[in-house]
Amino acid sequence: MPAKNWPILLLLTVVTLPLLIMCGYSVIDAFTDTAPGSLVPTRFTLEHFRFLWEPVAEARGSIWVATANTFVFATTSALVVTMVSLTAGYALSRLNFPARGFFLAGLIVLHAFPTITLIIAIFLILQMLGLYDTLIGVIVVKTALELPLGIWIMKGFYDTVPWEIEMAGVQDGASRATVWWYLVLPQVQPGLMALILFSFLSGWSEYILPQVLAPGSDARVLSTYLSSLILDDTKADFNLFKAVGLFYATPVVVIYLLFQKHLMNIYGGGTKG
Amino acid sequence: MRRINWLGLAFLSPALVMVTLFFLLPVVLTGFFAFTNMSTATGVMGGDYLLNTSTLRALADQGLPKETLAKLEAGGYRVDEAGLAALAAATSPATADELAQLHAGAEFSDRRDMERALKDLRANAIRNTRDRKAATELFKRSILNERFSEEAAFRAALSETGTRPELSDQITEAAFTGWVWTTDNVKLLFALPSTLRYAANTLLYVTLTLAFNVGFGLFLAITTFYLPKGQGALFRAIWFLPRILPPVLYVLMWRWFTWDTGFLSTVSGYLGMSPKNWMLDTSYHAWTAVVLINGFVGASMGMIIFSSAIRAIPTSMLHASEVDGASRWQQVRWIIVPQLAWPILFITCYQTLSLLTSFEYILLATDGGPGRSTEVWSLAAYHTALSNYGGNLEYGLGASFALVLVVIGIGASLIYFRLFNFKRLITKPLIEG
Repeated sequence: MPAKNWPILLLLTVVTLPLLIMCGYSVIDAFTDTAPGSLVPTRFTLEHFRFLWEPVAEARGSIWVATANTFVFATTSALVVTMVSLTAGYALSRLNFPARGFFLAGLIVLHAFPTITLIIAIFLILQMLGLYDTLIGVIVVKTALELPLGIWIMKGFYDTVPWEIEMAGVQDGASRATVWWYLVLPQVQPGLMALILFSFLSGWSEYILPQVLAPGSDARVLSTYLSSLILDDTKADFNLFKAVGLFYATPVVVIYLLFQKHLMNIYGGGTKG
Repeated sequence: MRRINWLGLAFLSPALVMVTLFFLLPVVLTGFFAFTNMSTATGVMGGDYLLNTSTLRALADQGLPKETLAKLEAGGYRVDEAGLAALAAATSPATADELAQLHAGAEFSDRRDMERALKDLRANAIRNTRDRKAATELFKRSILNERFSEEAAFRAALSETGTRPELSDQITEAAFTGWVWTTDNVKLLFALPSTLRYAANTLLYVTLTLAFNVGFGLFLAITTFYLPKGQGALFRAIWFLPRILPPVLYVLMWRWFTWDTGFLSTVSGYLGMSPKNWMLDTSYHAWTAVVLINGFVGASMGMIIFSSAIRAIPTSMLHASEVDGASRWQQVRWIIVPQLAWPILFITCYQTLSLLTSFEYILLATDGGPGRSTEVWSLAAYHTALSNYGGNLEYGLGASFALVLVVIGIGASLIYFRLFNFKRLITKPLIEG
């Protein structure tokens, strides 16, 4: 539609401005110094990234331990969610077994259910199991809570695979498991990729679960590292916070830019509140 | 003929185990925990039986007779094996032997009687007053500050103090340090004035944020639809950032934006205003910040869903309306918005439930402040059970807060299941069918 667009463009730019300022200054302030009461940076510096090579007094712990924990946490939960969803999604999409309708209905209800309300009970269960304040405990909980969504997404991808492929395989005498492994799995590879990335990002960003279930310094992840830095400090050093934040967010932004198309399949499904 | 494929259950079983353990079990246990008095003080696992001065004070408040309290507090003296062994170590075995011959198993309710028994030993009398007082203490047997792991042992010790049997139930109950079943949480929930406050805050939060999400999501979807393809995609990508950025970082950006040394204060400083914290200055500031922070995240979800719904509208309808001379506003009002009725209903339902229960962004931004003005129900549950300044975390009371949300969550999920006719998604598999 060639009608004049500049009023819309102007309006959108104005409402987007706060967001642009926030994001822009997150990068600018991480690399520069600015005099108080001014918005114009005066000099370039890497001093705000000092947390990378020396311990920061306020942070209580090394950023590299937190980074390693975050990576283990996000990777493990993403892999387990994807593997379990891969089989469960196929079962619900294609196989006939007792009480299938019940499980499907249960899945739909669970995937709408707000998991955060369970945090108190989960906290107590982990204490009883002796998994409180361990990375393992947080990983297991994150995986279980992410599963209904993962299975739901994976089932959606299986649903788009044409039946003819499987029919042909079964006609030729292959078992259902063989058909799934050799014929169906290659068809859902884009979905598999999307689910791994989505769960990885979800784990990487997770804050409440590590904060509540593993508050000790051994299992600290980047989100709790950054939040404790922000909340403990009496004098807010926003340049330092933004440098840590930039370090924390870089993988997220890179993955988002590289795999935007894959991820939109999931985010567009209206699945995350 | 319909064949049953056991492979299906095998494929499903890992998911079933995990979902049951950490999803369904917590749902059920929230219901149980809500009816206990679990807290930091009682611990999570069992408990012991212990009477100390604070238990006695609590019992006095419950109206326990003074003489019983005195008995519990005082205790008595008993010449038993443990005391004799201690005496043998402190003085000499001969002393202990003689005391055993004369008084083994004897009980004295008064300290002076015990002292006299030690003084009147024929061969090994303890003459030094200080030594005798110390030796007397070795035989003091009091229930106070002694920890029993078994209820029976505690009751036995209690009856030895001479307390009346009809009072022993009450005392045993007070002495138990573990958690017990109770309905006090529910009563407290109805009695506390803050409950109503949290409910009102939650209502305000959900209503305002939802209105912003849907309205602003619609605005973004429609405006980017009318822009050239590249520009529209750019704006949509920018507005997607609040959703993909980690919450801690996203709220950090807002904290800086509204801080008293941050962007808003600096700009208003150029205009001659004094700096202030734009997020926590008054409760109006806090509410605006909470709604915008959550709204920016929620609007991006609306934007995506509405955008794809708008693109699904046949372009012939829009072209036809243009030929008929409709303005853009008329197009939006009479063609686009009516087509979006179903997605709007979906977003409204979905986000009502998730806003009702989410507290992550509020926790990071205002932490319920200033005062308790932005404390919503789910945040109150979190503060009660998992994080407060007092240090005594009341798991049971927090669980009863959470139970309300769990019940609402299950109810709403079931209603949505019917409303959106998810049954049509349950199609029969073809191969076995």
